[in-house]
Amino acid sequence: MNTQASSRGSESRAQIIAELAQLDAVLPRQAPLLQFVHQNTLHGFQHLPFEQALDEFKALTGICAYLPEHQSRIFYQQNRITDDDLDNALARLTDLQPEQAICQLGEKVITRKDLYKIALLFNLDGISISQLNWNTNELNAISTLQPDIPPAIREQLLMEELHQNVLVEQLWKCLLNKLDLQPAVLHPETLWDLTLEQAEEWLETYQALTSAHESLKGIQSSESKVLDDLFSQFGNKTTLRGIMLKLSGIDILDSIRPQLIRICASVLDEGVATWPIPERNELGFYNAWRSLIKYDANPFLHELHDWQQITNELPEDPIDTIILQLTQLEIPKDQWIGYLRRLALELPGWSGLINWRQHHPHYITNKDAVPKLADYLAIRLTLDRLWLNQICMDTWKTPAKVSSLRTYFRKNLAEFTVRRYLYQGDLPEYLTQLAESLAISVDPDRQNRADWQQLADLIWTWQCSPMAEQNTEHSAHKSGWRLFRLCQHLGLTAIKLQAATKADLLAMLNVLDGFNVTERSKIWLYAYEINYRDRLFHTLRANHNRGRWAKREHRSDAQLIFCMDNREESFRRQLEELNPNIETLGTAGFFGIAMNFGTVPAQPQQIFTDSEQANHIAGFLKYMGLTSGFSTFIVLMERDSISQNNPHLTAYQCAACGGQQSGGNAKAFAAMANRNEVRQLLIEQGITIPNDTWFIGAEHNTGSKALTWYDLPEMPSEQLTHFKNLQQTLRHAQQLSAHEQCRKFASVPKNSLSQKTLVPIGERSVDFSQTQPEFGHATNAAALVGRRALTQGAFFDRRLFLISYDPTQDPDGKILEDLLLLAGPVCAGINLEYYFSTVNNERLGCGSKVIHNITGFFGVMEGVCSDLRSGLTQQMIETHEAMRLQLIVEAKTLVLERIYAEQASLRELISGGWLHLSAKDPDSDELFIFEPNKGFVRWQVAHKKVHIYDSSPGYYQNQTLPVAPVLKTSKQRGM
Amino acid sequence: MNSLVVLIPLLPFIAAIIIGIGQLVGFLRDEDSESTTALIALWTTSMSFLLASTLLGTDLLHKNASSFLVGQWLSSENLSIDINFITHGFSLVLSTLFSLLLTIVLYCSINYMLRETGFHRFFFVLSLFSSAMQLLILSGNAVGTFFGWEIAGLCSYFLILYTYNRAVATINATHVFVTNRIGDACFILGISLSYTWAETTHWPNLKTVAAQLTTGEATGIALSFAMAAFVKSAQFPFTPWLVRAMEGPTPSNTVFYGAIMIHSGVYLVCLLEPVFEKAPLAMGLLVIIGGITTLYSYLVGLTQTDIKSRLVFATSGQLGLMFLECGLGFWQFAKWHLCAHAIIRTYSFLTAPSLMHIVYGKPIAIARPALAKQRWAYTASLQRFWLDQLTDWTLIRPIRRLAHDLSYFDDHIVDHLAGIPAPAINTISSLAELEEKLIGGHLDHSDQFSYSSGVIGKITELFAGHTHWFENRFVLGGLSKSTITLGRKLGQAANKIELLVLRPRYLVIFVLITLSLAF
Repeated sequence: MNTQASSRGSESRAQIIAELAQLDAVLPRQAPLLQFVHQNTLHGFQHLPFEQALDEFKALTGICAYLPEHQSRIFYQQNRITDDDLDNALARLTDLQPEQAICQLGEKVITRKDLYKIALLFNLDGISISQLNWNTNELNAISTLQPDIPPAIREQLLMEELHQNVLVEQLWKCLLNKLDLQPAVLHPETLWDLTLEQAEEWLETYQALTSAHESLKGIQSSESKVLDDLFSQFGNKTTLRGIMLKLSGIDILDSIRPQLIRICASVLDEGVATWPIPERNELGFYNAWRSLIKYDANPFLHELHDWQQITNELPEDPIDTIILQLTQLEIPKDQWIGYLRRLALELPGWSGLINWRQHHPHYITNKDAVPKLADYLAIRLTLDRLWLNQICMDTWKTPAKVSSLRTYFRKNLAEFTVRRYLYQGDLPEYLTQLAESLAISVDPDRQNRADWQQLADLIWTWQCSPMAEQNTEHSAHKSGWRLFRLCQHLGLTAIKLQAATKADLLAMLNVLDGFNVTERSKIWLYAYEINYRDRLFHTLRANHNRGRWAKREHRSDAQLIFCMDNREESFRRQLEELNPNIETLGTAGFFGIAMNFGTVPAQPQQIFTDSEQANHIAGFLKYMGLTSGFSTFIVLMERDSISQNNPHLTAYQCAACGGQQSGGNAKAFAAMANRNEVRQLLIEQGITIPNDTWFIGAEHNTGSKALTWYDLPEMPSEQLTHFKNLQQTLRHAQQLSAHEQCRKFASVPKNSLSQKTLVPIGERSVDFSQTQPEFGHATNAAALVGRRALTQGAFFDRRLFLISYDPTQDPDGKILEDLLLLAGPVCAGINLEYYFSTVNNERLGCGSKVIHNITGFFGVMEGVCSDLRSGLTQQMIETHEAMRLQLIVEAKTLVLERIYAEQASLRELISGGWLHLSAKDPDSDELFIFEPNKGFVRWQVAHKKVHIYDSSPGYYQNQTLPVAPVLKTSKQRGM
Repeated sequence: MNSLVVLIPLLPFIAAIIIGIGQLVGFLRDEDSESTTALIALWTTSMSFLLASTLLGTDLLHKNASSFLVGQWLSSENLSIDINFITHGFSLVLSTLFSLLLTIVLYCSINYMLRETGFHRFFFVLSLFSSAMQLLILSGNAVGTFFGWEIAGLCSYFLILYTYNRAVATINATHVFVTNRIGDACFILGISLSYTWAETTHWPNLKTVAAQLTTGEATGIALSFAMAAFVKSAQFPFTPWLVRAMEGPTPSNTVFYGAIMIHSGVYLVCLLEPVFEKAPLAMGLLVIIGGITTLYSYLVGLTQTDIKSRLVFATSGQLGLMFLECGLGFWQFAKWHLCAHAIIRTYSFLTAPSLMHIVYGKPIAIARPALAKQRWAYTASLQRFWLDQLTDWTLIRPIRRLAHDLSYFDDHIVDHLAGIPAPAINTISSLAELEEKLIGGHLDHSDQFSYSSGVIGKITELFAGHTHWFENRFVLGGLSKSTITLGRKLGQAANKIELLVLRPRYLVIFVLITLSLAF
């Protein structure tokens, strides 16, 4: 018997442990702030297609991860999304059947697309009765045309009927007639004094029932169904805390949160507190707390029920505690994991960090207790039980157990009704007042069933009346109002509408219902992306054969190798504008090789053998296609960022390698590449570097704009003069690129193009009052893997990750495969984190910096007692454009198709639509878009003239919004 | 020259008015006008600073009178309150220092708050606060100081509420606001006592009159103001409100709870130095409360894991020391301490966000006294000695229960006596009634002849009822059903009253009533 019980016990233990590990998928995976790495915020849903992932995420958390519609409508007004883009986007969703006709009114055929377009651009939602009253009485909605009707349609409508008031009024009446609707213009308080006739009439009209008895019966039975539903939602949908909130208006989390956060922060603390929990490392998270709870006066002061018993019987093992508390609360066993997931998601930041620590047991911190999610949940459940018991005992004299609560409310259905409606918050005022005073005065010692019953009767009556926002099929303020606005936008008058039947109108409503906010948001996102993609592709196509360095036919003045970071696009372009004889390259390699080999030490020869060094160098150069045509100077330019007073500093630094600076890799690389021994070995690998070529390590700080050079004294003296010239040019480029950045900063003067501009920009990084030191990766939109020739000579507004790759040197695509495996997930991670932090900064980002409070050296809270905030700050995403990454690869489609078929990690991203893959043919100006179910499809858009500007500043001057890619005049060598 | 003092609080006040009206009317509302708002606030506050430092300069050259009279605000028989300002001494030093710190914080906020939704609101409140603080410091009489005291408190409330869509922020702001009302009550009491016993509310007069006060009178006045000071400066047992105030933006945390407003309590005590010197009991209280707060803040501060909480307890600890110094008679030292602390704390609050990167690789030393191993000590520190919960337990909950019972009394007894309008004939308010009516059942009122509510109504009803009853009894002569019901109801009511009366809160009230009657 005992063994059976214990085996059952260990079974559920193992099950809980296994299922807690699954929570990793739904919790934020952000590391402690100093280890910041960009990643897909919805990482746990990445195995699903993008749209489905967003739907499932919304179902789980209630968070909508599309840009709010009003924001997209602003883009439309700014002409950043055009009608063509919307048409293209609509055509992509074939389920929507845009061309299908709904009805024919005279010669006018109304198609689904007509409705879609209007629904996208204008709000066609139903309104409340009070809003309808307001619209009718104060805004004259029934006598004037809606204010947002476009002028052309307004004119057309007025042509048919001169008198606007007649026109609109007839339309309204005609619609109500056709739909058999009554305009309800009553005040809710008329219910207070109801004549018998009125009541009977309502019953007939709205309930289609003849007697009050029947109607009451119906409501009562539906009410007990609501009760059963609510109590069967435990687990996946709600916790007991949620039910208490719904039935007593008390949020136990308000009492629990401070205690929970205090203990979590103390355990995770990396050095803010001088007094750590005694024996934290020996006891671990849960037991450290268990040893403290005995001394805690909170349960006594809060007059909690049975607290001594509950705290005394706590098992030593957190999993046992979880099982014990779940059993005590009587959560159905099949709902346990759902229940735990809900609990974890109530404070996602804290659960997420604890989960991260659990999965990174070797995380180096001065405190080495490894906290586990089970510890956290055991504590949470125990506190929950203590406080839930208090509410339940004080209010209903029953313990906090699912079955006793359910029994209580089954017996007291009236009380259930009143409480439910009261805390739901949509009762009319006269009922709210009554319900509140009853709920406040409730005392379990006093019998007041009759009071509850009477109030429930009132609420049920209100529910039957037309004043309640009930689920009746049609009403004037819902379907009537929606069609009223729709018809005006369609340019329909009452006369034209005569031909329509009720079925036609209902069909229209049906189409609108199907085209809900999620569908609309998808269309907006597609259109937004198509708009940018097409402009980008037009520029790339027009730039074909224009850019330099497709082949290195003459020797360049210098070759500068930058990080692929989108911030460097501007610097590189400005540099090339100043001296067309400079070649720039972009690499994913600084961190790539660091990842493969660990951070390279300052004295590489002490660790790596000569041939290892040669292999590093050869690999690095081959990845970029830089195997011949070496210049006199090859500058390896790392990137870093510095700013003051910025808890999120690491998010501006190298985003792919955990906020670490590249760690002096460039310096070590240059040292290796300059060694004669290494160069000899490189010749054997087919890479001949001329004797007068000198490698220089340097660092570009995108925060302070400073350039730092390494090991200059070792440079051969005869090259110094040339090098001085190069430095001069770079300084100039620094100024220009700073100037370019200025255009989006609100607080920087935009007009002067001089040395002065560099000063305020650089100063931001040392100014501790500055919350926006630089733009980071904001506005990133595409990654281009290919030769610089593709992009050289065009303006991309710092929106492109540029990764150098030469398809002509990689016929089988082996290098490309490695590059994509490396750069694809990194760019997608950055892009997606920016996307999600932008579309919903409150829930998926970490909100404004100004109220952040550094906690335990691992994160930030708002104030002293909030959830830990993860994601990007509001200041970081302020200028960002939320769209998915366009990954454009200069390669033959066959090569890409093979890589797609072989690499599952890339396939997940591409087929799921987490990024858009396209190919630029290396030999022609053709572009191909990859569609997951069709393969590569040629991009066939008619040629459009792309503007050509003399210089970058000439184009972006006085623009504060993102600008489209354009071409620049091609300057010849020596100009 | 002395008259310039009026402009010191007035300029920021004008700024607040302009920004406020600008927001209402709409010309200061969007991002484009942010720089205008910021400039208005910054310029007026820096002008205040310039004026204050000029006055301070002339004061150091002994060219100032000690106060400047603007006019009379209120006079009634022998009560008269002037509008006057102090133009001399420590007040002027503090005015200069605070206006300088405010200017610095305002300057930082221009960048810090850029493009925030609450930008204009923030600068409006900060300008208003700047003005209130100057009024608090410079006003020559207790009433003016009290105005400044109140407005500053209100501004603090507004900025804790900066993100008013966050529920936690609103709860905390309200908590802070309510706690501070205790101090206000004591302040008002202090003003009245000064007026009654010293017959003046002017700070300079109060100082001179102090010598003539009896020890009892001086103690009364000193204790009232000391209490006000303890609340404002977050001394034990009021310290917890300070942590709750950390919801707003970092610059507002700096000015209110780090650098400026939090010091007003100490300043108030310093103003009343002669009165305190006359009241040994009050001096003792300063020592005790200051000492306890210092110890409390130190112990609690050790276990805090976020930077703002740590700074808050460091601040309250330092303030405790200042009160301790005052209590021991080191007035001058306390004043120096105040100024130095204001400067240091401005810096530490403003640079709080960089803590992580400053101490990276240089961990803070771990406390290792014997006490550190004691779990009970750790728990007490982590739970901040349960001060919040204790207040809740001793004050809030009993009062809430009392209110609860009073409301029950209201609903069930007073309302029944007063009566409510009866529904019109033949109307219903619920479907249940409709059903009843349709079935034709008036079962409930089967033995009721008429129905009404309210006292007058009941009397009429009673009269009619009794006649009817008499008739019934006369005719039927039997015992009616209602007699039994009535008897049972009476019994239940008697039981209820007995239960109610035996509850501790009522016993306390009875005792209080008896005591108050006895006196």
